[in-house]
Amino acid sequence: MITVINQFLSTKSFDTRAVLRVLLVLVGLSALAAVLSGGVFLQPRNLVNLVLQNAGLIIVTLGQFLVIVLAGIDLSVGAVMAVSSVLVVLFQDYGLVGSFAVALAGSLVFGLVNGSLVTFVRLPAFVVTLASMQIGYSVSKILSDAAGSRGGTVYTGLGGAEIPQGFTDFFKDSYWGVPAPLFVCVLFLILVALYLRTSPGHFAFATGGNERAAFLSGVPVWVVKMAVYIISSLLAGVAGILFVSRVGLGDPQAGTWIALDSIAAASIGGASLSGGLGTVAGTFIGVVILGVLNNIMNLLGVPVTMQPAVKGMVILLAVYLNSSRRQN
Amino acid sequence: MTGLKHLNRILEWVGSNSALAALLVLFVVASAFVPNFFGERNFVAILYQYSIIGFLALGQLLVILTAGIDLSQGSLVAFTSIVVAVLMNRYGVFPAIAGGLAASTFLGVISGLIVSRTRIPPFVVTLGMLGVGRGLALVISDAKPVSVDVEAFTNFGRANLGGVPVSAILLVLVSLLLLYFVKYRRLGRHIYAVGGSEESARLSGVDVKKVKLLVYALSGLLTAIGGVIWTARLHSGSPIGANNYELESIAAVIVGGGSLFGGVGTVTGTLVGVVLFGVINSVLNLVGISPYWQGTVKGVLILLAVALSQVRRPSRLR
Repeated sequence: MITVINQFLSTKSFDTRAVLRVLLVLVGLSALAAVLSGGVFLQPRNLVNLVLQNAGLIIVTLGQFLVIVLAGIDLSVGAVMAVSSVLVVLFQDYGLVGSFAVALAGSLVFGLVNGSLVTFVRLPAFVVTLASMQIGYSVSKILSDAAGSRGGTVYTGLGGAEIPQGFTDFFKDSYWGVPAPLFVCVLFLILVALYLRTSPGHFAFATGGNERAAFLSGVPVWVVKMAVYIISSLLAGVAGILFVSRVGLGDPQAGTWIALDSIAAASIGGASLSGGLGTVAGTFIGVVILGVLNNIMNLLGVPVTMQPAVKGMVILLAVYLNSSRRQN
Repeated sequence: MTGLKHLNRILEWVGSNSALAALLVLFVVASAFVPNFFGERNFVAILYQYSIIGFLALGQLLVILTAGIDLSQGSLVAFTSIVVAVLMNRYGVFPAIAGGLAASTFLGVISGLIVSRTRIPPFVVTLGMLGVGRGLALVISDAKPVSVDVEAFTNFGRANLGGVPVSAILLVLVSLLLLYFVKYRRLGRHIYAVGGSEESARLSGVDVKKVKLLVYALSGLLTAIGGVIWTARLHSGSPIGANNYELESIAAVIVGGGSLFGGVGTVTGTLVGVVLFGVINSVLNLVGISPYWQGTVKGVLILLAVALSQVRRPSRLR
């Protein structure tokens, strides 16, 4: 039996084996969760909840994954999500599409600034995005303050327009038994997978693996890097839109833990923080594993206050395993 | 001709002491135009608030000198404050302070062990420690502030010698000690060696692992001193406060002439950076800029600071 498995694995590529390995972890954790909860975990309602709770995280993590492939990191995703959520609500007077456009334009600015500073000024990504995270949370509070909400949550547009009922219903809708947000997630999964088939997407791996070698081989390194930081911010903006759809308000404090969670999920999914490694499928499974882990912690009654500490340790473990894999 | 020579010399000095030059200009301008800026009360307020950041910045400096970074400082301040507050209400002042210092240093040692023994990047290790420190603070305190009513301790938060806060005097003493250590002790010189080139340092017989372990442990200890003072000032331990303090300490080190790529930076420069941020903060408050704007202003300043640090380093790609 084992030789059959080994034979099967040896014919597969490095990436496929990596995905199979995280899939194995997911199956193991799910089995554990199923046993711990006496089967409740596997009930459709719980699985649907799992997707709904993590829809935003999946989309953010796709962007984080691309940045990590470049050996970078984006700590500003949570703040961009907050800015986007506030913008969507404040610009309701321009209609749903108009408000989406404003929110994505705001996110784009963050992507451009992050990308330019990392690409052209050659600053370390984590410092740039740490600073833009602070700026983002500050900007979202300024916006909320300008709307008269004193830095708190916002509920209506600047002109008083309400958030349409249909928009908030969308998050709870389901088609053919599948929750609507899952369709959005799958859409972006496919888009990012397709992006990696284009030349700037494909070159992201080369640039992340060895930037100098990629540059000398004629890879337009600056295009590759700018594109990835812009995509990461735009996806965070989309997550902000989904956030409004889920809770029906804009929150300047939204996405507090999402930077940490998305880095954890991408690392668990096999992306190496030293760059050049990772898969879209692995990233998706990484988010689901993190979701299941949260589920298990709740089942075991781990206090909410303890969960960041557990997550911190999970990140360390995942990064450690990936860094030793890189050496071989 | 001689006038030009003088101008050149002034420009050279400004180039190599940009933080001090900025501080002097800002100080003069603020004294002239910002009401209530120039005066003992405001200066004492700045010293009270920023001596805490000063301790963090000294720890951050040591870590940054080795091309590392410590993102866990803010959460370690909160963690220390909770440990100190809980112990103080049970065992008294000195066991509490000792316990707080030991607990935070212990977490620093763990970061140091992981950084020096594995290939995990320092910012990931300390980002993980940020989660651990904050989580432990929340668990120990049950997510509620723990008040301290030992007067001997809370008085220390307001204590001063001839008008100068004791915490600032303590900061100067620790800075002098550190200055001596990094300038004249073998181990201190090794910190610069590791940051300049880890490989050369290793080949020259420097115990790189020991140096790295040391700087993270010292960062934990110095952060804890800041945490103890913070607790005394607040009259309580807070599990959710001191967010993003590490950002200010990183910015102070970089503005003070340090480089995130290691090997460059001084104790005096870092102190100038801390005072500069203290003055900026004070001016922002006195001018009446809304607190919502302050994150943006500080974030932009940090970006400018690291961009400056990049100027000090040759480009690698081309």
